[in-house]
Amino acid sequence: MTEILVVDDSKVMREMIVACLRVVDDSTFTHAASGLEAIEKLALKPFDLVVLDLNMPDIGGFEVIEFIRGQDKLQRLPILVVTTRGDEGSRSRALSTGASQFMTKPFAPDAILANVRSLLRQDAAGGAP
Amino acid sequence: MSAFDASEFLAGYLVEVEEHLSASTTNLLAVETSLHKGQNNPRAVRELFRSLHTIKGLSAMVGVESVVDIAHAMETVLRHADRAAGALSAEAVEALLAGLRAIDERVRALSAESPVAPAPAQLLDALAALEMTNEPAPTAVELDLDPALLAKLSAAEKAQMIQGAEAGRRVLRVDFVPSPARAADGINITSVRENIQTFAEIVKVLPLSVPKTEEAPGGLAFALLVLTDASDEKVAEAAATTPENVQALLTRHEGRAEAPGEAPFVEEDGVEADARKRGIVRVDVARLDDALERLSALVITRFRLMRAVDALAAQGVNVSELGEIVKGYGRQVRDLRGAIMRARMVPVAELLERVPLLVRGLSRGTKKPVRVEIDAGKAELDKAVAERIFPAIVHLIRNAVDHAIESPSERRHLGKNEEGVVRVTCFERSTNQLELGISDDGRGIDRASVAQRASRPLPESDAELLELITQPGLSTLDRATKTSGRGLGMDIVKRAVVELGGELSLRTTPGVGTTFTLFIPLTITIVDAFSFLCGEQTFVAPVAAIEEIVEVAPGELVRGPSRQTRFGEVRFMERRGEIVPLVNLASYFSLSAREAPKALLVRRNGLPLAFGIQRMVGQQEVVIRPLEDPLVKVKGVSGSTDLGDGRPTLVLDLLALCAALSQSRMEAAV
Repeated sequence: MTEILVVDDSKVMREMIVACLRVVDDSTFTHAASGLEAIEKLALKPFDLVVLDLNMPDIGGFEVIEFIRGQDKLQRLPILVVTTRGDEGSRSRALSTGASQFMTKPFAPDAILANVRSLLRQDAAGGAP
Repeated sequence: MSAFDASEFLAGYLVEVEEHLSASTTNLLAVETSLHKGQNNPRAVRELFRSLHTIKGLSAMVGVESVVDIAHAMETVLRHADRAAGALSAEAVEALLAGLRAIDERVRALSAESPVAPAPAQLLDALAALEMTNEPAPTAVELDLDPALLAKLSAAEKAQMIQGAEAGRRVLRVDFVPSPARAADGINITSVRENIQTFAEIVKVLPLSVPKTEEAPGGLAFALLVLTDASDEKVAEAAATTPENVQALLTRHEGRAEAPGEAPFVEEDGVEADARKRGIVRVDVARLDDALERLSALVITRFRLMRAVDALAAQGVNVSELGEIVKGYGRQVRDLRGAIMRARMVPVAELLERVPLLVRGLSRGTKKPVRVEIDAGKAELDKAVAERIFPAIVHLIRNAVDHAIESPSERRHLGKNEEGVVRVTCFERSTNQLELGISDDGRGIDRASVAQRASRPLPESDAELLELITQPGLSTLDRATKTSGRGLGMDIVKRAVVELGGELSLRTTPGVGTTFTLFIPLTITIVDAFSFLCGEQTFVAPVAAIEEIVEVAPGELVRGPSRQTRFGEVRFMERRGEIVPLVNLASYFSLSAREAPKALLVRRNGLPLAFGIQRMVGQQEVVIRPLEDPLVKVKGVSGSTDLGDGRPTLVLDLLALCAALSQSRMEAAV
């Protein structure tokens, strides 16, 4: 079972992301509409991958990444940032904070799917402890 | 390969963008109001920035490039303003307003399937030409917060807290610790935030790693930084913690504002200032409830006074002056009650503001062109009632668009206009009741199909049909649709109306359309009621429910077909050319059912029914208290009241008794 957490304050955007990723084998999706909701869900339940927006009402995606990487058990969690902030500054900040991959909106369905599959593969190859 | 079609998401896109546009307009106007007073409004600027950013991202996904361009240019201006603690020039506000209008025009065009104009170059230039400042406002107070946390706050957030403090609000930190057990109880960061937002402004929520304990199994806590007037207890309760964990965050610079002689620097928050300008104060509904609760005590005191005066009069004392005073006092209490109730009222037009958006979304989702007509006039409704009834309205509108209105081709074939119409009308039927109508010009409800589904005989009237479709679990749908789920839910609509003490009625004509009418009480706590004796006991019943009090002439009564109901024998009387069934109310409550020389005439779904009673006692305002103990929940009893004698008197819901009787007659007929 592949548990994917989709974090975006826009419901329709989350639905679009899920529509793109539905074909990932044996996947289930959990929605989070804010950065805080995402952090709460991550603290209480294990996930295999997070798709994360940067711009959210309460706390932004950067803070979510910082939090995730500050947790021992979440060190290896793949984080795919999907954002409208396509500038180089956001990109390098996201990656240096700990995002695994960075892509911009609008995204092509095939591209996000390929990114997610590759992150999940790497994670599996990286091996469980 | 994944299948992905952006057009599939267009309806959702339109709804979300409209929401963000409307919020943005409100926020921008708040910024403008603050500007007139020489202040920044960091919170509104941040909200604006976020909305524009979301609009930009969504528009990029569905390929509306012109909106992406406009939103991007606006977002750039707002990002600078956010960094400068919310500073925006009048010129910038003007340009941003023009930007919102330009986006709105394009979204409308998209919704109407018209070509979408490119972004106006002049506007983009104007936005790009704005001079950006990065000067945060100087501050007079300091935040007493852990430096590690302080470092996570933006200039705008700090400014927001300091401005709040200067306006006399308390700046507090409270920590919420999530856990699976709490999550299972529905207590999570989202619910806590929503809860706190009802009485406080949340500036920032910071996640903190904490040692894993039984109390904090996730190793996580959230520090909420809030501005509020509420007590520590209230804040703690909302965050599922105790008052010791609420911490004040403010230290003032010495010599400032604390000195009593010096006029404190009191300024309001932008949105509230805007409201104040129009003479509007936002009040927590709980405070009004509190006022009403206190008023209830006054109403009871009045009854006691009246009894005391009557007792004096019975002793032969001249009470004429005292009587006048008591009467005047009664009027004052009534006026005061009216004033408080008015403060709780919200315009129905405001409640229905979201309906056009809803219909537009449904119309796109179902590919049926639908026009919505709303006429709410000036009617107003108690906020609590409004909140309870709105989901029912939404449900009825969904049903109308999804099921009632035919497809364009079908309508054309029937000689109807391709565009369907949903009409929502509302007017005050009396001083205590609102009539809300939701109609469509669709296909009407198919009685035969409903009857078949319910395995019941063909309903003979719209009222019987309504009884059938509001049975729990009945669906007239063959398959689930996207927007209405499984087509269930008329029972929920009915329950929402009935719980408010209202009534639902239906009129449907095959091929022509359907109208649901909701009769809803404007307010729910205090009602004008008749008190009467029945089986030697006093009861009260709302005046609004009773059409007439009639004399019963025993000689003229006709026995009905011999059917035993829960009310004993049903007899019939003639009233103005109409045959009215008469039952003895005492029988229902198993009281000694002696002669009933008077009767209360009630009409439900247009059909009259008379309840025989012993005698009338009087008419007065009563405070209805719900019966707390579910074990004593009796059908037809809506609560209890105190008439001033310290004893509870049952408040009867005669309409519910009517329903119980017709059900019992149906059972008897089977």
